[in-house]
Amino acid sequence: MSADLTILLPEIVLAVYAMAALLFGVYTTKDKTAPMLTWGTAGIFAVLAFWIGFNGEGTNAALGGMFVDDGFSRFAKVVILISAAAVLVMSESYMAKRNLLRFEYPLLIALAATGMMVMVSAGDLIVLYMGLELQSLSLYVVASLRRDSVKSTEAGLKYFVLGALSSGLLLYGCSLTYGYAGTTMFEGVIAAANAEHISLGLLFGLVFIVAGLAFKVSAAPFHMWTPDVYEGSPTPVTAFFATAPKMAAMGLFARVVHDAFGNVTADWGQIVAFLSVASMFLGAVAAIGQRDIKRLMAYSSIAHMGFALMGLASGTAFGVQAMLVYMAIYVTMNVGTFAFILSMERDGQVVTDIGALNLYSKHEPLKALAVLILMFSLAGVPPLVGFFGKFYVLQAAVQADMAWLAVAGVIASVIGAFYYLRIVYYMYFGEETEALDPAMAPAQWVFLMASAAIMVFGVINLFGIEGPAVAAAAALVN
Amino acid sequence: MSLFFIVALPFFGALLPGLMNAAGRAACAGVTFTVSLAAFIGLLTNLPSVLAGEVVMARVDWIPSLGLNFTLMLDGLGFFFALLILGIGLLIIAYARHYLSRDDNMGEFFTYLLLFQGAMVGIVLSDNVLLLLIFWELTSLSSFLLIGYWKHLPEGRQGARMALAVTGMGGLAMIGGMLILGQIAGSYDLSVILKNRDLIQADPLYVPALILILLGCFTKSAQFPFHFWLPHAMAAPTPVSAYLHSATMVKAGIFLMARMWPVLSGTPEWFTVVTTAGLATMVLGAVIALFKHDLKALLAFSTVSHLGLITMLLGTGTAFGAMAAMFHILNHATFKAALFMSAGIVDHEAHTRDIRRLGGLRRLMPVTFVIATLAALSMAGIPFLNGFLSKEMMLEEATHTVLFGVPWLVPALATFGSLFSAAYCFRLIGHVYLGPVRDDYPAKPHDPGSGLWLPPAILVVPVVAIGIAPFLAEPFVKLVTASVLGGEADVPKAYFKIWHGLVPALFLSVAAVVGGLLLMAVFNPLLRLWETTPRPEAKVIFEAIVEAAAWLSGKLIASLHNGAFTRYAAIGSVAIVAAGFHAWSTGTIALPTRTPQAAGPVPIAGWLMLVAATCGLVFLHRNRLLSLILIGIVGLMVSIGFVFFSAPDLAMTQFTVEVVTIILLLLALNFLPKRTPVESTVLRRVRDVGVAVAGGLATFALAYHYLLRDAVAPPISEFHLANSYKGGGGTNVVNVILVDFRGFDTYGEIIVLGIAALLIYALTETLLSGRVRARLLNRKPDQPQAGDMHPMMMVVLTRVIMPVVLMVGFYIFLRGHNEPGGGFIAGLIVSIAVVMQYMASGFAWASARLKYPYHGVIGAGVLIAGLTGIGSWFVSKPFLTSDFTYVRIPPFQEFELATAALFDLGVFLAVVGAVMLSLESFSRLARRENMPESEHPMDIDPSRDDPPPDEAGSAREAV
Repeated sequence: MSADLTILLPEIVLAVYAMAALLFGVYTTKDKTAPMLTWGTAGIFAVLAFWIGFNGEGTNAALGGMFVDDGFSRFAKVVILISAAAVLVMSESYMAKRNLLRFEYPLLIALAATGMMVMVSAGDLIVLYMGLELQSLSLYVVASLRRDSVKSTEAGLKYFVLGALSSGLLLYGCSLTYGYAGTTMFEGVIAAANAEHISLGLLFGLVFIVAGLAFKVSAAPFHMWTPDVYEGSPTPVTAFFATAPKMAAMGLFARVVHDAFGNVTADWGQIVAFLSVASMFLGAVAAIGQRDIKRLMAYSSIAHMGFALMGLASGTAFGVQAMLVYMAIYVTMNVGTFAFILSMERDGQVVTDIGALNLYSKHEPLKALAVLILMFSLAGVPPLVGFFGKFYVLQAAVQADMAWLAVAGVIASVIGAFYYLRIVYYMYFGEETEALDPAMAPAQWVFLMASAAIMVFGVINLFGIEGPAVAAAAALVN
Repeated sequence: MSLFFIVALPFFGALLPGLMNAAGRAACAGVTFTVSLAAFIGLLTNLPSVLAGEVVMARVDWIPSLGLNFTLMLDGLGFFFALLILGIGLLIIAYARHYLSRDDNMGEFFTYLLLFQGAMVGIVLSDNVLLLLIFWELTSLSSFLLIGYWKHLPEGRQGARMALAVTGMGGLAMIGGMLILGQIAGSYDLSVILKNRDLIQADPLYVPALILILLGCFTKSAQFPFHFWLPHAMAAPTPVSAYLHSATMVKAGIFLMARMWPVLSGTPEWFTVVTTAGLATMVLGAVIALFKHDLKALLAFSTVSHLGLITMLLGTGTAFGAMAAMFHILNHATFKAALFMSAGIVDHEAHTRDIRRLGGLRRLMPVTFVIATLAALSMAGIPFLNGFLSKEMMLEEATHTVLFGVPWLVPALATFGSLFSAAYCFRLIGHVYLGPVRDDYPAKPHDPGSGLWLPPAILVVPVVAIGIAPFLAEPFVKLVTASVLGGEADVPKAYFKIWHGLVPALFLSVAAVVGGLLLMAVFNPLLRLWETTPRPEAKVIFEAIVEAAAWLSGKLIASLHNGAFTRYAAIGSVAIVAAGFHAWSTGTIALPTRTPQAAGPVPIAGWLMLVAATCGLVFLHRNRLLSLILIGIVGLMVSIGFVFFSAPDLAMTQFTVEVVTIILLLLALNFLPKRTPVESTVLRRVRDVGVAVAGGLATFALAYHYLLRDAVAPPISEFHLANSYKGGGGTNVVNVILVDFRGFDTYGEIIVLGIAALLIYALTETLLSGRVRARLLNRKPDQPQAGDMHPMMMVVLTRVIMPVVLMVGFYIFLRGHNEPGGGFIAGLIVSIAVVMQYMASGFAWASARLKYPYHGVIGAGVLIAGLTGIGSWFVSKPFLTSDFTYVRIPPFQEFELATAALFDLGVFLAVVGAVMLSLESFSRLARRENMPESEHPMDIDPSRDDPPPDEAGSAREAV
């Protein structure tokens, strides 16, 4: 029992912290403690990330295998925690300025992070659902954090209703899986789901679980909530949506399909490949006409999820490795991009129209250069790090004899390059317009520059991310 | 020198000019020149081994798991291109030093230039296709910065955008091609790929790979139909145009085609695509070039045309064609760079590049005149200059090429292109340099300092030298050709000579030159004709495509993501049904293991009622009260369905839950209009019917399928059936599961229930103390209220029924452990009894008489359940371990006492508290200002002397 608790300790620490801080906030000064709690939560995230990253070793199963701590979960958790910490830190000034910094905000993020950590460690359908719901419920609330804004409220409501629908679908899949495998444990499911004869019940379970998860990763055609929620939520929340939860949902996705259905890769490979193609194209095509940068990033994230799913669709260990590398790179790029979007304002008013970036390079050459690097990287242009992520997943697809998928991905990335390049074009060659405010919160500046620098210097060895990714993939696929 | 140094030098050197900006212009240019020179010398040190036919290699692993390694190789082809890049680069640097004005930031310029140079050298020396890709896109990036260097020019902006969009996208497409190629060959190293011609050409993915790679090459080398970006990129400073857009970057596509020649060429696909594109580009470029008035635009289109010529030669797939292509690359690089530089000189000195405003410069700028004329004549294909030699080889090759089965097509078009090519060369000489001296130049032209004319002059030396003595270039070109062919074909024996005898190529060549002269004679009428002819402008088309794409995408997305929730739900439902159908159609469907039961009259009647209620709901859903009643019927039928499936507990729970929810919804209806407005169109309703029917049928099919088949064996219910009495002391399995097997879950659930109720209470409190309070209290009901709100019949009935219902609740609670029932159901029943009192006599009256605080009831419930659980710790058992015993208290019979019952009591209390608290909260919202708070249980009480109800009613309406 105590060994189990040791394995679960990071999650327990985070959950206890969130609850204790909530009580502390309620019974003391409420929102006045918010900045402190924001930084404190970010600090705890960082400490936990280091703890998990450097302390973990091997594969440890807790609670009879319901909770698994292995290389894969550690990789995902470190990405989740670091990105969540980054988003918290860079959102503090934005929220404070707009009187949105409630003390619940960091704590909801902390609870969501707890849920995500549970998700990527799930070894059981019940644990999966528990983690997923803890995450989702926290996210529904933060989506509508700006209660006096109709858009934000609408975003939260839409997210909630569609999320509940997908949860129902997922649960339906889980119960079918349980009914036909006789157990909720992934170990048991994988034994029941053999390539030889997967029963229709299990297949339905698999399909519905995949559909439910597709909603969470916002893969087309289950992506409908994404643009509205991205646009309606306060920008820091959008930044959060675009980073940590995506990694968590992707991690969970990989866990389920490999740990529970690893013997029937052909059955889900096609579905995931379809989701991948649909997302890549929808994201690429839809973003062309967008002028709102938050909506644009929503479509961009749909397209990126399509690429990450491509790695997963290959059904191989290399595919998982590619997906992990891709997600880590994607999250890093998005942190930088959103750090910039958070700073976009004119006369103190938030601006999200990309036309506001016209000739930005003239006023802010350094920041414009950083954004240029990020945009090129998002487009997957060599030699920036974004290219390596893309190449990884393309290669995974080709190696798994899915060359058509890779070709589709290439075409989608060609289409997608258009809107990233358009932002660059505006910044460097646009027409003269009223300039954006030059001020930028120090934390946002640091993350923007760090992210851009990583995109450039990461090409040397991708900061050694491959080693852990290989280990993570090996832990998951065997 | 190691190849690494040659590639790395420009990159590291790129830091220097930027840093030395403060040290002055000369220092900037000097350090850039030194860096390039060092790389150039480094390259020359490898000349002996290249001449000996060796391939110099250098290798460092980079990201081996991707197959990406830093491997460089230097063979004849690589050496040739590297020589062009570094050699012309040196001249350009020297030229730019004098060309750029004092206001330009020289450090920045040279930094970009060196970055670009490094990337170009990287392309031609890469042995790894991925590395090549990286350098390839690096050239796009650095050229973007170089083109955009002069930010103030509006046409520069457009040019930069198109250049970036076209070449960047082409590069991305190439990734796919390289990936497939590497996958087929098993390695991303060129040295391996080039040896696998047969393997690659036999692969089914050869054609997609070819198309993707050619997309990259064609966009980069401005081949038709991507030729439009190059002329618009010419707004860049002249040194940039000369370097990027004539000598180096645009040759990258050509280089790659040459590099891949051994593996990709020779197939019909290659021949058709490459030759056609090349030919089209050549003719189109030449024709457009003739009518351009901007000197640089003329040169730009001429570059496009010559690149097309080279592409066409590579496309033929013959060894001779490849050799001619290599030779022409060399020649073109020399004369075109010289021409660009001389055009830059004209621009620099006369302050205009408009041919119509120039003329007669021969006398004012003799040195420039000589340089430009020699280079232009070479381009026109005049003997004793190098352009003649390669152009004749081209025409020779053209006469042997049969495209689309038409033997005269290629020679005719090639001659036609050459004719226009000669014409624009003559126009350039004639209209710029010859003719009378004018007196209206924007500035007084004169020959510049040697810094500007020396670089083009140096380039003209080989133009003349090779032209007079072709054998000088022969060994080198053959060496390069050998490495292009890569052992797939022998180097042609043909000698480079000025006079080949009276071969067809000579006639064509003469025809082209004479035709060019004739064309010049009728130039003015031709120009008028050209200007009146409507023609598609590629740039306009590009813009239109971009606009159309944005418009189309906007339309598509607006219809897909219009923000309407119903649309999202429809898309989601369709997707889910499709996913289910996919599973259904790919899975193996086992035979049914159960036979359907015969349906008796009662189930059929129930089913009919269910269907009728559902259909009624669909048609009457605009009337909210009616639809609520119909929902109640549906719920009732579902509850009875549970009875049919032998699940009395579920049925009872469902039944009571139905009652409570209907009451809750009735309360909510209070706030809503009576009817739902009609919003949807007929079309949408048809669509929605389709979606709904599909979803319903899918669910039905699934349910039917599962009902006929056993799930996994043995089902978990067997465990519970076997153990519920033994372990939990009860025969009602459902209740034992709730309070014992999964007691922990139940404990959590009652806590959640309590929290939910508290939350509803908190929300109500916030609402009533917030800004909406006044609106809530003062809202007008949309129909008159009944005068008899608390009717006597109902009051009397509920009072009489209450003790009975309480008794039933008590009974259900007690029997729960062994028979259907339990704390949860009992809690709901008791709640209903109390709620009825509220409904009958009004909120104020009832709450004044019910003194129990519901918060406390919830808390007590949770506490009792929790303490029961903790109790098991005292007998050192885990939390919530239940125990039971049998006691006999006379005069009762022996009965069972279980700790589970105590736990169930907690559940009971929590349920009662939660339901009552939420109902109370809702009814608090429902109250309005000026609502008479009656202290009587009923409005019309015969035992009271009240005013008649009509007056009370009308009095209320008046308010």
